[in-house]
Amino acid sequence: MSGRYLLAKIGQAIITIGLLIVLNFVLFRMMPGSPDRVLGRNPNVTAEAIQATRERWGLDKPVIPDQLVAYVASIAQGDLGYSFVYRGASVADVLADRIWPTVILFGLGELIAIVVGVSLGAYTGWRRGGPIDHIGNGASLILYATPYFLIGMVLLLVFAVGLGWFPTYGMTTVGEVYSSPVNQLADYLSHLALPLATVALGLIGQYSIVMRSSIVDTLGEEYITTAKAKGIQDVSVLRQHALPNAMLPMATLIAINLGYVIAGAITVEVVFNWPGLGTLTVDALAARDYPVLQGIFLLLSVSVVFANLIADVMYQFLDPRVKA
Amino acid sequence: MTTPAIASPGVAVSRPRGRLSRAWAVLRQVLRRRSGAIGIAILVFFTFVALFPDLLVGPLETAVTATGPSMAPPQPGYPFGTDELGRSILNLTVHGARISMIIGLLATIVTVLFGVVIGIVSGFVGGRTDAVLMRITDFFLVIPTFVLALILAPVISELFGTEGEILGVRITLLVIVVVIGITSWSSTARIIRSQTLSLKERAFVDRARVIGASPMHMMSRHILINVTDLIVANTVLVFAGAVLTETTLAFIGLGDPFAPSWGQILNSAQEAGAPGLGAWWYMAPPGASIVLVVLAFTLVGNVLDEILNPRLRGRQ
Repeated sequence: MSGRYLLAKIGQAIITIGLLIVLNFVLFRMMPGSPDRVLGRNPNVTAEAIQATRERWGLDKPVIPDQLVAYVASIAQGDLGYSFVYRGASVADVLADRIWPTVILFGLGELIAIVVGVSLGAYTGWRRGGPIDHIGNGASLILYATPYFLIGMVLLLVFAVGLGWFPTYGMTTVGEVYSSPVNQLADYLSHLALPLATVALGLIGQYSIVMRSSIVDTLGEEYITTAKAKGIQDVSVLRQHALPNAMLPMATLIAINLGYVIAGAITVEVVFNWPGLGTLTVDALAARDYPVLQGIFLLLSVSVVFANLIADVMYQFLDPRVKA
Repeated sequence: MTTPAIASPGVAVSRPRGRLSRAWAVLRQVLRRRSGAIGIAILVFFTFVALFPDLLVGPLETAVTATGPSMAPPQPGYPFGTDELGRSILNLTVHGARISMIIGLLATIVTVLFGVVIGIVSGFVGGRTDAVLMRITDFFLVIPTFVLALILAPVISELFGTEGEILGVRITLLVIVVVIGITSWSSTARIIRSQTLSLKERAFVDRARVIGASPMHMMSRHILINVTDLIVANTVLVFAGAVLTETTLAFIGLGDPFAPSWGQILNSAQEAGAPGLGAWWYMAPPGASIVLVVLAFTLVGNVLDEILNPRLRGRQ
């Protein structure tokens, strides 16, 4: 692998993160509720008091470079400010509490969706035009057209409210005392099942559509015809000749998709009241808790930039033709 | 696949008089495929509903004018049941069609306009302009635009206020339009740019340059006309995405309760605890409408892409 390519990609990622921080800074300045503006609405506040407040918060200094430098410096130290709602709690602490439920839900969801979506897409593409292709592709298209939260609502209605197989909300049963860790895990898993199924179903549609068209493209290549002409078994042609190349676009898709997955994450968590970053986002939005919103935006966008970087690097290993 | 001659751009397109008849020809081709015909039928149905909601179910019911029982399942007079305020779900869903479709349409116009202008300028002008514009585009491609939308929405509301209307559309809805536009133009710009790059090298652009055409003229009369096919196919797919994004934004509470889109109705259902109460009738009509419309746009978009996209043509 050429080190130059890697360096260029890392450079781009760093620039993107820099831009993100600046964007966050600019948005923050545009947000309502600056201390001096709020104070200024009260006619009894003297000019000296406003001036003192401005000095205390550093608002008397020029926006660029002083305020920007101060902002970047505090970000670099992991200081994302303080939440309005969770009084006194730093944004970093608030985020840290909520990050794991989301990582588990979406990590597992992605994993299931990749395995199922790729297999389904590969199979329907391989048997193109057959009955399974029609059903599989139709189902994928419908899943693709359905917002995540709607899938969640349907699952909730059917399996939690209707059949009563799963709990309707939360991550654990409130007030439950567990007799053993096994019971606790079982309770956790029963809460996880429906949100996880929602995330996986939402992603499977997309992945299988892309995988199917990728397989169809690959099967048209001449080396596949050659392999078939040599008398290699159908299954081996698919597994050893078509799949590896057809998988390539998936690597990019999965990384690029992460940004959209996050949008889905937010709504799925709301439907099931899953205590992750998604419900935190909606609560912060409703309470106009801007520092938390900004922290979430920074955290998520930096993760997506990293995911893209990893995908770019992996692509180099997967596809020897990439020498950019 | 039997591809009639009309599907080759540059031949029919360069004759302005043939443009309308070519559009008809493309539409006929779309209708000839089953998925295209199904998609068009669904879209015609929902366009009709969006255009004449008052004819179908009377004016939009509000908390004041609602007459039905609270959270009642489907029954005579209320074929889709009622919500917690006693409004007919049928009435809300039909009116929601207009709001969802208008927001989708406006957001699509904003997105495509941004994407096409930036794509063509970037590809045609090239050099440093191209480099800067593409860095910005890549930036918007990578960042999770939905989360950005969440932060932008309150900022824009704060800047422009939440009251009042522009051209009969409430400002709160326009905020959603602007947010979708700002955050989703980048992939359109990428697609248009790459096509522009290849068109720029064609002989007819060179000829225009030699006889002294200005860059503005070349971009608008030679490049733009030849990327129209791509724009059309892309626009339909962007529409599907815009409806989905609007639905999601409205669902998490950025919609306008006084102008309920389908996403907004689902948000009210969630807030009223409809899923836990088993009130399926509250969610099924707006939910099914969203799925049908997005599915229809996706089907038509894919068919158009196959017919019009020079890269995919002949793959079927």
